[in-house]
Amino acid sequence: MKLTKCLEEHRDELLTSWVEAVFQSYPKKAAPFLHNNPDPFTNPVASMVREAAAALLKALEGEDVAIETVKDALDRFIKIRAVQDFTPSQAMGVIYLLKPLLRKIVLPTATKGSALKEYLELESRVDTLALLSFDMYVKDRDTVAEIRIKEIRSQYSQLKRWAQQLNAQAPLGEFVGCGNQTCGNE
Amino acid sequence: MAKLPSPKDLLASRPDFPAESWLDTKPEFAPGSYCYPEKKETMELLHMPNPHDWDPSAEDWNLPDDWEKILCDAFADRLAKHRSLKLFMDICVRCGACADKCHFFLGTNDPKNMPVLRAELLRSLYRRDYTKLGKILGKKVGARGWDKNVVKELFYYAYQCTECRRCSLFCPYGIDTAEITAIVRELMHEVGLGTHWIMDPVKNCSFTGNHLGIKPHSFKEIVEMLADDCETVTGIRPKTPFNEKGHEILFITPSGDVFADPGIYTFMGYLLLFHELDLDYTLSTYASEGGNFGSFTTFNMAKKLNAKMYAEAERLGSKWILGGECGHMWRVVNQYMATYNGPSPSHMTVPKSPITGTVFKNAAATKMVHITEFTADLIRHGKLNLDPSRNDHIITTFHDSCNPARAMGLLEEPRYILKHVCNHFVEMPENTIREQTFCCGAGSGLNTEEIMELRMRSGMPRGNALRYVQQKYGVNHMACVCAIDRATLPPLANYWAPGVNVSGLHELVANALVMKGEPKRTMDLRQEDLPGVEDDAEGGEDQ
Repeated sequence: MKLTKCLEEHRDELLTSWVEAVFQSYPKKAAPFLHNNPDPFTNPVASMVREAAAALLKALEGEDVAIETVKDALDRFIKIRAVQDFTPSQAMGVIYLLKPLLRKIVLPTATKGSALKEYLELESRVDTLALLSFDMYVKDRDTVAEIRIKEIRSQYSQLKRWAQQLNAQAPLGEFVGCGNQTCGNE
Repeated sequence: MAKLPSPKDLLASRPDFPAESWLDTKPEFAPGSYCYPEKKETMELLHMPNPHDWDPSAEDWNLPDDWEKILCDAFADRLAKHRSLKLFMDICVRCGACADKCHFFLGTNDPKNMPVLRAELLRSLYRRDYTKLGKILGKKVGARGWDKNVVKELFYYAYQCTECRRCSLFCPYGIDTAEITAIVRELMHEVGLGTHWIMDPVKNCSFTGNHLGIKPHSFKEIVEMLADDCETVTGIRPKTPFNEKGHEILFITPSGDVFADPGIYTFMGYLLLFHELDLDYTLSTYASEGGNFGSFTTFNMAKKLNAKMYAEAERLGSKWILGGECGHMWRVVNQYMATYNGPSPSHMTVPKSPITGTVFKNAAATKMVHITEFTADLIRHGKLNLDPSRNDHIITTFHDSCNPARAMGLLEEPRYILKHVCNHFVEMPENTIREQTFCCGAGSGLNTEEIMELRMRSGMPRGNALRYVQQKYGVNHMACVCAIDRATLPPLANYWAPGVNVSGLHELVANALVMKGEPKRTMDLRQEDLPGVEDDAEGGEDQ
């Protein structure tokens, strides 16, 4: 309980510092744009990071947290990290950047107030959030793979249907442009 | 023993990332970020210069021996030919107004995807050879010479631009970055660097008419199959006139709508509409691709493929051309066609709707009318019997396709139609629509599946706006007027706003169209139940 108050007091500092840490995973020339424009549609990545930051901090406070609500708020952020030019550890490791911040801002209070157990629980919640995020990340990557397959099918859908309608004796040699084995007679 | 890196080290999360200046940072050709290269045989068939085998992820791209001379000469040639290019090289003051307007920059946060820096990749080469300061001071004033890494960098970023021209809208000088990208792609083709997804359709369009290379009789059979589907849905089989001489109108639309889901439903919409109007028109197997894949490669290739339109109108004796829902087709028609292949054949006349008598003076030069202009005019004159309640299960928004919106100002007509065929229409946020529309992220030949990750990030600004109206207003549908959109938006919606369907406008038109003598419609063009049908069925009528 001691730390909840501390988290509340330092909420803005934690939020700003984590957002800054995420921004710094992008090239420095991009940073001014991430900082300056508050519009969620013309500066969407910054908006996604800030939405995620607010959700993460709320979850860290550890009270009355519905997992689905946290996931909804993290969804856009994880979706963009999942398709940007990052390794999986770079994409999702940003959640762990909360730890050095908590150690800097909250740990001194925990040490003074003999609330180390409470502090360790707080850090464990970071681990939980990282694991939840990892599940979402993998699901998003799976979605990318699925839509890739679906797109290939959609592109040739009528060709396949037409080819399947052909009479078994029809010469297929003149059929050009589809290397797909399913284009044979059925 | 080395220490394990900290999470911060792994992330490279630091204010000085990357350590090098932008000129020295080189792109990584990671899978998912580049398109597959075109085959040597295809380039040979098309008489493209310097065809060769190469792999974008390899160190050596097997460029021809005199690659630097080829590129310098080609650049000089383009500068002499296009006054606009020279102007665009000279006048940019690097104000940065365009920087954060590009969907690629917003999605990747890669500084070289700022249109200004993307153009600087070429401008830095220009500066060395064509400006005094650049010749003397070199790198100090942002000038640099050619090397093989520069070629790779140009290729990488020329295919991370969809030529959507959103940046141009915000440029105080009106610099058309799409034309700079087009020139860079031209230069790349000079040394034999092209992509499969673009060049293969170019080959197919060159040899057989449509982008998949389906031969005329088979193409016709597939269209007839779609006409059969129309009959299943409406009880009326629309006519499918092909290559017939003497009709007033030649109809040209992207061939993707004949082959791909969900574009086929838009094509069925055209067939039904024209049948209902008893329109005096013909389709063509020769000019069966409205989209111009050549425009993604070189101006000459674009000209060659575009020539088919007037050639076929002349051969068939059509007075004017009605064009389908397509994106870049309309940029080519409105901005380049007159220069490429104009003036139109002498027998062609200023388009006049045979149904309403409206003269499309805006098409006096091209003799080509966009189908939404044509249909909006029909609705305006009360010529269509529409029942928008058939689309009542849909809460739709509208995606302005880049080229119709920014290259021809087609903003009101699609909305006018949509509001007459759907009862529930919601706009996306105003800084993401109309002239400011965000690209689908995969135009200009980038809608290939190997770069799906790239497409999901570059299309994110559009997906993000769609997601917003989905969550706030329950939008479950997005209409568009571009065949590439119909291919690229479904995956984008699937990722960013799952549950939103995508369709062309004329699919919705045909769903709402009450045709003369038709039996009671129970399903839509996708053969899914219309709203209220289940209630009817419960009343005793079996499907």
